[in-house]
Amino acid sequence: MSHGAADPTMHPEVQLSTSKGYFLGFAISAFLMLVATFLVTSHSVPPFGLLMVISVCAGIAVIAQIYFLLHIDISEHNIWNTVALVLFIPLFLITIGLTWWMFSQLYLRTMDMSVMSSVTNPAVHASAAPKMSDMPGMGSSPDSAN
Amino acid sequence: MSAHASTVDPKKAELWDTHHHSHDVISTRTLGYFLYLLSDGMLFATLFAAYGVLSYQHSYFGGPTPAEFVKPWYTFAQTIALFLSVLAYGFGMNALKHKNKSGLINGMLAAFVLGVVFLVLDIHDMSHLYSMGITIASSGGMSAFMVLTQVHATHIFFGLIWILVMIAQVMTKGFTEETVGRLLTLRMFWHLQAVIWVFVYIFVYLWGYIS
Repeated sequence: MSHGAADPTMHPEVQLSTSKGYFLGFAISAFLMLVATFLVTSHSVPPFGLLMVISVCAGIAVIAQIYFLLHIDISEHNIWNTVALVLFIPLFLITIGLTWWMFSQLYLRTMDMSVMSSVTNPAVHASAAPKMSDMPGMGSSPDSAN
Repeated sequence: MSAHASTVDPKKAELWDTHHHSHDVISTRTLGYFLYLLSDGMLFATLFAAYGVLSYQHSYFGGPTPAEFVKPWYTFAQTIALFLSVLAYGFGMNALKHKNKSGLINGMLAAFVLGVVFLVLDIHDMSHLYSMGITIASSGGMSAFMVLTQVHATHIFFGLIWILVMIAQVMTKGFTEETVGRLLTLRMFWHLQAVIWVFVYIFVYLWGYIS
């Protein structure tokens, strides 16, 4: 493991490159994207099952790329990259997951009452969604005036 | 304590560590750059979150949704162009391992050309949407869709400039500690674009197409 400024091409991070590894990373991820694209365009799987299948394709492709392309493993030279990535993944998922959850709850409590009732049955609007009539603009709408 | 203290001869004691410790400059820089790339990943996390909350039916304001304009096989061609570009850069880095300068430059040129193919396909796709009257201002859903996909395309654009700069530096400076370190950080940057593209392709293009 001797490496210094003498010959930078002998640095372990240069020497860990392998054509076979890069090709495997390419072949696995390209094949999985092909499968996902084929399933999506053939309409042979119901939507929810399709979402599950293409999510699994994405998961395996990303793991293959992280392992073969980014060289994330537990070797002495890459362990801190691996630790940083493992600690990063919860932050990534929490940011997306909690944001999506908050807004889906918001839509559930606000959107369907005001939008749906005023579109389908104007008379329901004032009684079914009293809080909406308190909002600026809502109270003076023609629907609630009826 | 006193017995221990008396064994130290003040005239011979070494108070300073005078040995030379070699400092691994390349590894320090690549770890620092990797941490920066993870913060770039958090940028994409916020954009994916924004797309997640703005991809409901009402987000499109009655206008076009990705289900109406996404062409899966067209975007699959983009996917393969990007993956091949990443592969070409990988082969170039394998040539660097064997001190093969022309092999490295050929790999980087191939990566550059394939990256340009990806970007041209993206620009053609966006101008096609624009000609149909679908713009970033059409709806909240379209804003989230275009910002996310075009931020990724912007990463590709700057990556292409970086590839050209590194080709010039390798040709003029050769394999120094600086150029080799930069080639390694560019490898991380370029390969991470393929990882992020998998999420963009599956969860924005394909999921948008089926929902």
